[in-house]
Amino acid sequence: MHQAPNTLSEYRKEIDSALQDEFLRRTLDTFAVAYRANRETIFQEVDERGIINQIAESRDKACKRMEELYAQFKEQAEKRGVRVHRAKDATEANEIIARIARENKVKRIVKSKSMTAEETQLNERLFADNFIVDETDLGEWIIQLRHEGPSHMVMPAIHLSRYQVADDFTKATGVKQDTDIQKLVKVARVQLRRKFIQADMGISGCNFAIAENGTVTIVTNEGNARMVTTLPRVHVAIAGLDKLTPTLEEALTALLVLPRNATGQRLTAYVSWICGAGPCSVNPDGKKILHVVFVDNGRTEIAKDPLFSQIFRCVRCGACANVCPVYRLVGGHKMGYIYIGAIGLILTYFFHGKDKAKVLCQNCVGCEACKNVCAGGIDLPRLIREIRSRLTDEQGGDTQAVLLSSVMKNRKLFHSLLKFAKYAQKPFTGGTGFQRHLPAMFLGKHGYKALPAIAAQSFRDRWPEIAPRAHEPKFRVALFSGCAQDFVYPEQLEDAVKILAARGVEVDFPLEQSCCGLPLEMMGQRKTAVEVAEQNVRAFSRKSYDAVITLCASCASHLKHNYETLLAGNAGLYGKTREFAEKVVDFSSFVHDTLGLGSDDFNNSGQKVAYHASCHLCRGLGVRQAPRDLIKAAAEYAPGEEEELCCGFGGTYSVKFPEISAQLLEKKLDALRKTGATRLVVDCPGCVMQLRGGAEKQGLNVKVDHVADLLAENLKPQGGKT
Amino acid sequence: MTQTDSVSRHVVETFIAKAAAVNAVVQELPNIQAALRYVVDVCAAKQASEILADEPGVEQGPPGPNNQPTRVKRIVAAPDLDDGEYDVLAKACEEKGFLCIREGLRNYVAGFDVGVSKALLGVAASGTCLMNTDGEDARLAGMIAEIHIIFLCASTIYPDLPSIAQKLRERINEEPITYTTMISGPSRTADIERVAAVGVHGPLELHIILLED
Repeated sequence: MHQAPNTLSEYRKEIDSALQDEFLRRTLDTFAVAYRANRETIFQEVDERGIINQIAESRDKACKRMEELYAQFKEQAEKRGVRVHRAKDATEANEIIARIARENKVKRIVKSKSMTAEETQLNERLFADNFIVDETDLGEWIIQLRHEGPSHMVMPAIHLSRYQVADDFTKATGVKQDTDIQKLVKVARVQLRRKFIQADMGISGCNFAIAENGTVTIVTNEGNARMVTTLPRVHVAIAGLDKLTPTLEEALTALLVLPRNATGQRLTAYVSWICGAGPCSVNPDGKKILHVVFVDNGRTEIAKDPLFSQIFRCVRCGACANVCPVYRLVGGHKMGYIYIGAIGLILTYFFHGKDKAKVLCQNCVGCEACKNVCAGGIDLPRLIREIRSRLTDEQGGDTQAVLLSSVMKNRKLFHSLLKFAKYAQKPFTGGTGFQRHLPAMFLGKHGYKALPAIAAQSFRDRWPEIAPRAHEPKFRVALFSGCAQDFVYPEQLEDAVKILAARGVEVDFPLEQSCCGLPLEMMGQRKTAVEVAEQNVRAFSRKSYDAVITLCASCASHLKHNYETLLAGNAGLYGKTREFAEKVVDFSSFVHDTLGLGSDDFNNSGQKVAYHASCHLCRGLGVRQAPRDLIKAAAEYAPGEEEELCCGFGGTYSVKFPEISAQLLEKKLDALRKTGATRLVVDCPGCVMQLRGGAEKQGLNVKVDHVADLLAENLKPQGGKT
Repeated sequence: MTQTDSVSRHVVETFIAKAAAVNAVVQELPNIQAALRYVVDVCAAKQASEILADEPGVEQGPPGPNNQPTRVKRIVAAPDLDDGEYDVLAKACEEKGFLCIREGLRNYVAGFDVGVSKALLGVAASGTCLMNTDGEDARLAGMIAEIHIIFLCASTIYPDLPSIAQKLRERINEEPITYTTMISGPSRTADIERVAAVGVHGPLELHIILLED
């Protein structure tokens, strides 16, 4: 039922078949767009950030007190007639539950949805012991009939069409079923009612295990959990230890976000608060037999981890999958082992082991969409990178990553190799900016975009000639180029320098700077990532600058948000790293916010210009208005659909998963066509590489370049403030 | 209208809007007598309840919308009502030929027509009713009935979830062992192609009677 790929090539084959699934693609596409709009509307009624911070803080505190909360819950629940168990792993949890069933002479079991029971693969164990087990959540029941695992944490059968469901129901009932969804839902109502009535035992999940009074809280829409916990003689609730919640207040706060994030609802139809073993008329003593089984399965260890303990903020809302551009393409069965989406990649590593996680955890493009919506504010992309780094330490990285890593340790070697590449590529470029004549064999799955050529002269080599001199400068800034602009698109930096110099800014370009290190992080090469970070902080600490400007959103976000953590162990750079990170600013923000450039500074070309919001700019740095205002000042801004959707570049991601990258690119180009624009500008050379390559390959008559290029072209010499 | 009145009217209106947003039918009625009449009228107007499982001795009518046999004698279950209220309802039901019950609901889990419950309080922001469902009958009334009708006093509506924390605590700790349910709209699902559908397991309809007193 559950599978995890062993090798990247095996995984890519699976992904290929998922990409062929037209229904899945269409469904997830519609869902992604509708979800985003619904979520935005439903969150307007509450203080989203405030509540998320509150959840993060309270879960972090609860995590530190897990043992104490467990003891308190146990004491409170047992006082109320509940038996509380603690299982060290999945096998033991399943054993406890099977034993409870045997001891109570149970034959039939009904279940309401529980991801923890999926984690322990409880059904398989119960089937092996010859119990009759029926899932009663509609989606879970459908996938049980199909012998599949869930493809979404909240909507487990989202990958299936009404026609498939009608076929499954026809088989299950022996009667031909209509494909009308309203009727199909009623088939479940009719079929499952008998099962609820006949069942001896109900198994439910638990959204919150409230320590103050031993309450099990269950959140559902269908009402099946109420049946499961009421009709049978025995009720077993299964919960991860992370579900321990100190008081009702924390649960109520989480309930403000969980349904909103999961399905755009204010609250689910039902929330049950079960405090103690209450009445049950079918037991001889008239009382319910109620057990709560807590599953550890590595949780006490994770709780002690200073970084990974934040995964206990997860409320299992599934939002990280809802916004993930990769999930949207390949679906849940290809994006996690049991738990899916971004959190699924992480939980797979902890609950199901590194063998299951090693390939899966590569499938994150790093767009940060998940981090932006997480109910607990978990830094999911960072944790995924961290797991890659751990896997590298434990198992060694792949050959390419190790090779690149060893080259990049030595800046001079890295840079001379890049320069050498410009000679090596000559036969293939035909004098254009693209590598045109690479044999198709060599390109393989990468044929969806034209690859850029290495520039004839790197920016660092041009610098001595173009370095501007400013008299009585308003600002002194340093440029951080990043590899792509230094060696592939130096003209973007030149355009930026032209604008800065024209507005009285003194620009410096420290030559000792190197790669920002993000690609190394993405490949799990932590050690080298730290080394290049040190080089860069040193390079920019020799002089005092008002700002460190970069035209690459990914570099900016990495320098600003990750350097302090990466260099935390370096006492020699203490203070310098923070000072450096604080000064880092993206080009558009500096020009717009600090220099205050606007319509007076540019000749409006009238050209229709579309915009792609790079992941690391809009989500990584929260910059949204500046670039759009600048476009409006220099041209006619043509807004497009889903401007903030990832273009699929993701640095090394596009090399590892070219098929997915190509599909994401396709989506962006479709949106671009609809704008009718003749130019597309972005704030990141990586996105330029991806989008320009795609536009070239498809023969679109659209120029793709950096915001700086558009601005430099239309800059008024003096500015309007004279 | 005093300022407090207008504030509480705002809360009531929010409740009505949010409950309607999740497909609940909200009715403002002046008193319990009117509410009890409403229950009987709803039961009389609805299609007869389908019988979804074996029930010995039940008189069966023609198949309902899901091709299951229907009840000939309609059932109204009202475990939450006090004696006086129950007597009034039982009498009105008898006149219509309905069976009115307040206990032993397990005998009718194959499905019945109307369940009547009383809410402890309401939450405006999500159109939610907080219910004491300690007893099995109280739970079944809102689970098995095709139409669930909740009586809620307008004066007990609170603005949002955080504002009821202490009330919820008092409710849960009211007895040594309790079962409390929050209800927001009828039973629903979007598990097939994300298309919204109500009545997957629980009530097909939820009616909330807002009482002035």
